[in-house]
Amino acid sequence: MLCPTELRAHQLGNKINSKPSQFTHQVFILHTNSANSKLMPAAFAFIITAEMQKNRAKIYTVSQVNTLIKAALEENLPSRLIVRGEITNWSIGPTGHRYFSLKDENGILPCVMWASRFKTVKFSPEDGMAVLATGHIDVYTVGGKYQLYVDKLEPEGVGALQLAFEQMAKKLRAEGLFDDAHKKAIPAYPERIGILTSESGAAVHDIRDSIHNRWPCAKLFLYPVPVQGEGAAEEIAAGLRDVNKRNEALKLNVLIVGRGGGSREDLWAFNEEVLARAIFDSKIPVISAVGHEVDTTIADLVADARASTPTKAGVTAVPDMREVLGQLTYFEKSLASKARAILELCGQNLRTILASAVFRNPLLPVRNAEQQLDELGTKLVDLIRELLVEANAKLHASYEQIVKIEPHRLLGRKTVDLNNLRNRANVAIKTIINRRRMQLTAKANLLAGLNPKSVLQRGYSITTAKKTGLLVRKPEDIQIGDYLITELAPKGLADENLIESKVTKK
Amino acid sequence: MAKGKQKSDIEKLTFEEAIKELTSIVGKIEQGQIPLQDSLEQYEKGMALIKHCRGILQKAEKRIEKISEPETKSQ
Repeated sequence: MLCPTELRAHQLGNKINSKPSQFTHQVFILHTNSANSKLMPAAFAFIITAEMQKNRAKIYTVSQVNTLIKAALEENLPSRLIVRGEITNWSIGPTGHRYFSLKDENGILPCVMWASRFKTVKFSPEDGMAVLATGHIDVYTVGGKYQLYVDKLEPEGVGALQLAFEQMAKKLRAEGLFDDAHKKAIPAYPERIGILTSESGAAVHDIRDSIHNRWPCAKLFLYPVPVQGEGAAEEIAAGLRDVNKRNEALKLNVLIVGRGGGSREDLWAFNEEVLARAIFDSKIPVISAVGHEVDTTIADLVADARASTPTKAGVTAVPDMREVLGQLTYFEKSLASKARAILELCGQNLRTILASAVFRNPLLPVRNAEQQLDELGTKLVDLIRELLVEANAKLHASYEQIVKIEPHRLLGRKTVDLNNLRNRANVAIKTIINRRRMQLTAKANLLAGLNPKSVLQRGYSITTAKKTGLLVRKPEDIQIGDYLITELAPKGLADENLIESKVTKK
Repeated sequence: MAKGKQKSDIEKLTFEEAIKELTSIVGKIEQGQIPLQDSLEQYEKGMALIKHCRGILQKAEKRIEKISEPETKSQ
């Protein structure tokens, strides 16, 4: 899994770490009353001893001694030297200065590197790392020690940039930034492509040509960014984030980040963490196209796809239009031929169906149905006939039963009885009527004798006033001039027995 | 009417969407397991998609536009 350079660093690390506490950090302190010459390196001790011999009687202040040492160092040591050693006690001060020591098998050398100097160091120094430190030796009078003021720090063996690259790659790989799982698919047919590179460089033309040669319909959008120098990585990263933020409007399908070839330093922006994170965070798939084929940058590792050079960007980003047109033609032919085949197949099926017995004798189903209908009809008639016969039989049985009861004879007997009763009733009623009639006649005769009018028969008459219709009993009952009605015994018609007369005298 | 709608729908597709749909149509028709009526509709749609794709490919401007700075940086 590890690439060779990494492996090397790994082994180196192991070797160093295998003897971690062979050397201990030593502090050199010159104190007025406890100068311990044993702790001083031999050359140093010699210089001081010589000075002291010259001025045997003189008493020095600490500052004076330090000044002497400083002068002696400046005089006797090269103004600039490169020291090879292993880093130990690496630490960062609150001001950003780096404090550490270099050691070898026999000794230790305190070092300091100012923050302003350390900014140029691309790799991350750490304990156990073999380095070449360049700088000058001077005395740190406040601490009473001499130290190496480092202005350049390089890893030993590999170049500083190579180490920095390896360290960054290791760190980001551990974080999973290079994992395939995070790689977004490059759209197969991008129509809008964003390019982040320098406006003035050759890369923009290379990328454009390489895309348009294959896929002329792509719309390209250049986002000009500096691609080298201080702050370039930050600007490219900001560009990536800006494009992502505005992509609802820009509608870019894919981004290409790159630049043409150059020195390792020139390409360095593409190895910086800030850019790697921006590429990783991009929602739009990112293709890297940095430098020459042999160059690999962190951007290449973290990008969703990599073009080895800007001139190859097109191959990674877009399909070849000729191939796509060929595919379209194939689709066209395939569709046409398959559609025709389906038509033919359906036609064939139709012919097969038409050739079947059903279509040769289309009335057959009708005839079959008719036959079935006939059969059903016959069955139905038989069934009804059967039912009728059964019902008839039942009716007959009932009739027989009724006949057995002989209703006519019963009727005859009852008629005779009825006639007898009627006769008896008639006789009885007649007897009663006659008896009543005789009683009635007797009463009538009796009544006739009592009728006032029956006196008329005997020669009496009844006089009434015509006006009042009242009986005239007394002379006061009438006035002169009144008309009287005299009723005599009737002879024939009712009115003939009435005589009208006028009162003329009383 | 439905056909007119279908046509305008196709014109809205990106190349990628159109190719995807076209591939699926070709696949379906090649398998031959769709009813005749459907296959004819699919055929017509496929041809319309091919035309649309060719149209996109012919719109080659070979231009490169510059993305301007965001208009409202205060946003």
